[in-house]
Amino acid sequence: MNNSPQPLPAIANATPHNFTVAILTAAVFAVGISGCSQPDPVEQNAPQYGVVTTDDANEDIGTYILPQDTSIADEPNAEQIMYGKRLLNETKRLLPEHVGAEMNCNSCHIAQGKIPLGDPYINSHNFYPRVMPRSGTEVDLTKRINGCFQRSMNGKPLKPESEEMLAMLAYMEWLSQKTPKDQKVDIMNAGKVDESLVGDPVHGEKIYQAQCATCHGDNGEGIKDSRGDIVFPPLWGDESFNIGAGMARTYKAAAFVKYNMPMGIQTKGLWGHGNVLSDQDAIDVAEFFTHQPRPDFAKKAGDWPNGNKPKDARY
Amino acid sequence: MKKWPLIIIIAAVIGLAVAFIIGQLLPNMRTTSSDIEVNITDPALIKHGEYVARTADCVACHTTLGGETYAGGLPMLTPLGAIYSTNITPDKTTGIGNYTLADFTNAVKHGVRSDNSALYPAMPYPSYQIMPDEDMAAMYAYFMSDVKAVKQPNLKSELPPVANWRWPLAYWQALFAPKRDFIPESNDAVLARGQYLVEGPGHCGSCHTERGIGFQEITLTNADSEQYLSGAVIDGWRAKSIRGEHRGLGTWNVDDLSLFFKTGRTDTAAAFGAMAEVVEHSTQYMTDADLNAMSSYLKTLSPTPNREVALPVKQDVTTEKLLAGNYDSRGALLYVEYCTVCHRADGKGVARIFPALDGNSAVYSRNADSVLQITLGGGRMPETPYDRMAFTMPEFTNLSDADVAEVVNYVRNSWTNQAPEIGVDDVVKMRAFLAKKPKTGTDIAPDLSLTAAAKGAK
Repeated sequence: MNNSPQPLPAIANATPHNFTVAILTAAVFAVGISGCSQPDPVEQNAPQYGVVTTDDANEDIGTYILPQDTSIADEPNAEQIMYGKRLLNETKRLLPEHVGAEMNCNSCHIAQGKIPLGDPYINSHNFYPRVMPRSGTEVDLTKRINGCFQRSMNGKPLKPESEEMLAMLAYMEWLSQKTPKDQKVDIMNAGKVDESLVGDPVHGEKIYQAQCATCHGDNGEGIKDSRGDIVFPPLWGDESFNIGAGMARTYKAAAFVKYNMPMGIQTKGLWGHGNVLSDQDAIDVAEFFTHQPRPDFAKKAGDWPNGNKPKDARY
Repeated sequence: MKKWPLIIIIAAVIGLAVAFIIGQLLPNMRTTSSDIEVNITDPALIKHGEYVARTADCVACHTTLGGETYAGGLPMLTPLGAIYSTNITPDKTTGIGNYTLADFTNAVKHGVRSDNSALYPAMPYPSYQIMPDEDMAAMYAYFMSDVKAVKQPNLKSELPPVANWRWPLAYWQALFAPKRDFIPESNDAVLARGQYLVEGPGHCGSCHTERGIGFQEITLTNADSEQYLSGAVIDGWRAKSIRGEHRGLGTWNVDDLSLFFKTGRTDTAAAFGAMAEVVEHSTQYMTDADLNAMSSYLKTLSPTPNREVALPVKQDVTTEKLLAGNYDSRGALLYVEYCTVCHRADGKGVARIFPALDGNSAVYSRNADSVLQITLGGGRMPETPYDRMAFTMPEFTNLSDADVAEVVNYVRNSWTNQAPEIGVDDVVKMRAFLAKKPKTGTDIAPDLSLTAAAKGAK
């Protein structure tokens, strides 16, 4: 009986306010609840690959867990491993006497040699020594690395017992994570492209200009930083790899490009890399840039002494 | 005494009824009727309307990833459930095909639907309110004549009962979106144009101004408060302060800003997240004169009160350490393993390819949400015809939360950067947030096909 009309507007005004407050309270409550049920911090989800025996690749006998560099500190030769890692990352800057090209090892061995299909070092420690078709002789890992220095890096070999060579070997040994010598991590070092396809360099140049030239330059010259250190390696010219490099071969280059280039264009993968080109497009662009002018390889006469030269060999 | 509960109930019911009735009437007080004659087939008008729609970035919210343009359906997450943007194509049954110019204007400027009910303030009508009716007419002509009609019914909101009542929004509008006109701060035509674009169609404040208790922007103009555009957090991004202090636009100049709006990049910075969408859908289409006007106006905004106008000078000791292989913290080790290949030892990135981390005010903002989100969620730059390629940041979800915290703290406090430290908790929260957040256009990899390259901008 006391509900005279006067208070009503006040109530009316209050209602939406209370309503807003109710919503906000509920909202705060909802946020509060979700806050309370906050999950525990997650641990590193390191990539894992199966381990198989080298003679029978079908047998799954263990698991390889890709190590993070923070675990190098646990090794007795941590300093050596870390030096090796630096040399592989910054080869040209740290070893200018031995590197002729504006390249680092990890220009091609992407993400410090930790990525399948990106020329990883994961199995390198166990894979060598072995007889390689290109040299026709047994090659150990030291020789293999020096092969890179003379071909891909267009430079000079390191002394086998040098501190630098031993450091690089130590990094690769660490990366193998004590996988026994008769076993290997079940990954592929390079992807596959259909080698029956023939490259079209004219179409390849169009792809190059659209998808490669931003980083590697309109004339294949690459990009250097303000100190003159290489950021993106030159793909042809005097500062590029020589014709003795695997990367100078159309199908090898195509397989690398298809699965690893460009970088920074995917939202997944350590480099956000690869998987934008078809086999044909990858072969076209590889045919284009591999056949641009580049340094000669002085010792080319010694390659493939026993024949079976691949069809994309440059000499 | 016994009668009290009854009286309260009756009073409440009557009160609610009155509130409801007033709530029904309030929108009528906002709407206007226009006597502008509009020829919706006039090509010049349509073209102008298309430009105005670009400046207002209608497409950003009214289109879903992979959906038909302007057909709506984009979820906006609220703590009580998602609401969805609507179909604004000229389809007569599911879109706005039956809207008159007055209906259109009332919706865009006043937040009132053709059925006279209030629109959720997710629609930035408090900003659009200052747009002239002539621009409404032009946009109307564009939407009616040049936008493809798409039959796509609107999605119902997921708000629970009571919270999904629309009439209380009329009170929200009365409180927080009162009628207002554009009042230029300056007689300078360029600055006035810039202010208008920033305050009105650009609705920069929707993301860059803090919101209050009613989810309203705490201020809609610089004249009103120096908190205007002083930064806020939206969708897990820190929309940075775009006022004059160091962590705002203190280190930017007018040309940098205009280039950023036009191309999404400068030699040191790159738009990502919500701002990448703004560049991709809106600012890249604006005229150089309009971009210069916006940039010039933004650079007139004073530093936000109580924030550092200039941060203390700090020497870069990081670069030399990294070049010397002196990785003296876990953060440094992680930075070298995961970040250096693109962002480089000197933290300078590569011009127009990989943004700098050193000296990048998006990196050392006090709130680290943007750095956390881009690290855990990745993202890509806007695509514009200015650059041949748009690059991405990959997501680093495989890292432990503790390591993400380490590396984020490292980049925010290395070189010349200085920022508050974050904790593992912040990483945990962001990871949980991202698990629920819908993907947007710039969360996915760019289209690198040659046909896309030939076509240029999206």
